[in-house]
Amino acid sequence: MTLSSLPPLRYMLLWLFTALGVVFIIAPLAVVIVNSFSSVAYNVFPPEGFSTRWYENLAGQAAFYGAAWRSLVLAGLATAGALVIGTMAAYALVRYPLPMPSLLKAFLLAPIVIPKIVLGVALFMFFVRIKMFGSYSSLLLTHMLIVLPFVISLVSAALYNFDWTLQEAAMDLGARPLQTFIRVVLPEISVSMVVAAVFAFVTSFDQVETTLFLVRTDSNTLPIEMFLYLQKWQDPTIAALSSVLILFAVSIVAGLALVLRNRQLPLDMRPQKDDTP
Amino acid sequence: MPETAHPASSLKLAIAPDASLPARQRGAWRRRSIPFLLLLPTLLLMGYTFILPLLTFFQYSFFTYRRGRLVEEFSLETYRRFLFDGYYRTIILDTLWMSALVTIVAVIIGYPLAYALWRLERPWMKRWLSLIIFSPIIVSVVVRSYGWTVLLADQGPLNWMLLKLGLISAPLTLVFNLTGVVISLSHVFLPFIVFPIYASMTRLDPALREAAMDLGAGWWFTFRRVTLPLTLPGLVAATQIAFTLALGAFVTPAMLGGGRVQVLPLQVYHATTDINWPVAAVGGLTLLLMAFVSVALFNRLLKYSEA
Repeated sequence: MTLSSLPPLRYMLLWLFTALGVVFIIAPLAVVIVNSFSSVAYNVFPPEGFSTRWYENLAGQAAFYGAAWRSLVLAGLATAGALVIGTMAAYALVRYPLPMPSLLKAFLLAPIVIPKIVLGVALFMFFVRIKMFGSYSSLLLTHMLIVLPFVISLVSAALYNFDWTLQEAAMDLGARPLQTFIRVVLPEISVSMVVAAVFAFVTSFDQVETTLFLVRTDSNTLPIEMFLYLQKWQDPTIAALSSVLILFAVSIVAGLALVLRNRQLPLDMRPQKDDTP
Repeated sequence: MPETAHPASSLKLAIAPDASLPARQRGAWRRRSIPFLLLLPTLLLMGYTFILPLLTFFQYSFFTYRRGRLVEEFSLETYRRFLFDGYYRTIILDTLWMSALVTIVAVIIGYPLAYALWRLERPWMKRWLSLIIFSPIIVSVVVRSYGWTVLLADQGPLNWMLLKLGLISAPLTLVFNLTGVVISLSHVFLPFIVFPIYASMTRLDPALREAAMDLGAGWWFTFRRVTLPLTLPGLVAATQIAFTLALGAFVTPAMLGGGRVQVLPLQVYHATTDINWPVAAVGGLTLLLMAFVSVALFNRLLKYSEA
């Protein structure tokens, strides 16, 4: 069925709505970029003039550098850790008969369902109580917990679809289990692992609610630094920083698109879920 | 181990039939323990950063906070105050109201977008539209909420445009109130709405629609009797995700609410910073309960919608 066979009015209304929808999605991001080049400190549209002073101001803010670096390192470590232990868990879920598999799976995915602010406050109280508050391990383990469900669900979905006769063939040819996993299974699930890693990295990098109470005031992560800055000021320095972050996000999407060229995005997890015994 | 060190005795042990049986059992035990060893790091992490914190949280909900001090004695006082105080009841109702509004607005925008994405014929248009819909997930919620404060400001682009078009005579107050929060949260949750609906549409057999059309059904009849019922599971799943996420939303109400939108996550945050941990714990558990109840209700709805 082609679009031309649709009655024109209905079809035009749908495309008009879609165009408005696209504007709705892009507008808050586009306006940030426009605002970052404003010449005045207050928000006014149309801008009274253009300048790069907010980028210069941003360049002079050492607090944001430190915060950005801390966020990148934290997200990198949390992603790496969660990929390793999450893949192990996913392998166990897919390949071995476990007691109460659906309950176990629900438990492993539970950190997504819990409102993040509840988790954040609970972790804060717990770490204060056991005197681990402010330690880096508390922060890192928390971030690993938050990104773990993404890794487990995406990797286990990929493992369900994997043709396990390949693994058996490798084992029959004398490959050791770990060798088989790295040489045979891993290349097949690598796309899902890349997607999981990107999701995990971005989730950790953007984490506000859970991190808010766990960082000390002198070592904020980037979103916390921005959130607290915006509680006090509203000048376009944040717009400049946001533009940099939007550019960062666009480059992630471009990179991901390059990796996933001609491949189906492994986003649809429902059929695999239905397959599980 | 003096016996096993002796080569002859260890050889005897290895070839003795009665000794090989425990060895094989040991192998089986090891095989059976592999999945648990694989799961162990995950379970340890979840025990330490999930179960124990939530238990601590639960424990604090039974303490009380009096005259600026935490009283660590078992009491139901905080629960009693929370349940019977009109202030907290208003917060709970406002949280539910805001989440319902966000869900409705997001579905109204998201369903037609999913439909358009499904009906697009050219692959490159499909790819671009899906990229535009899903990419905002990668941009921080802080950045997106900030974008909305700029866009919806009294002197912002939206009010400027509405004034220019002569649709309004004075700027609308769209930000630092419930309106701004609802608009911004709908934007944040839109990808989570579009995706499950789109997924349910791709599973739809196009022959069904064509059959309905061939039998003379109009497009509206076809949509109402074929497309909508068959995509209902996706719609319910989308509603479930949006509503549950909206219940726990914190950053956007904090940034766009301007103190006028008092929802439960903000109450939990303020109670924690005011070191009134028992009230924070009771508020948080209430939020948790609301999230679980809504997930359960939507799961029930999902069963009906699939039938």
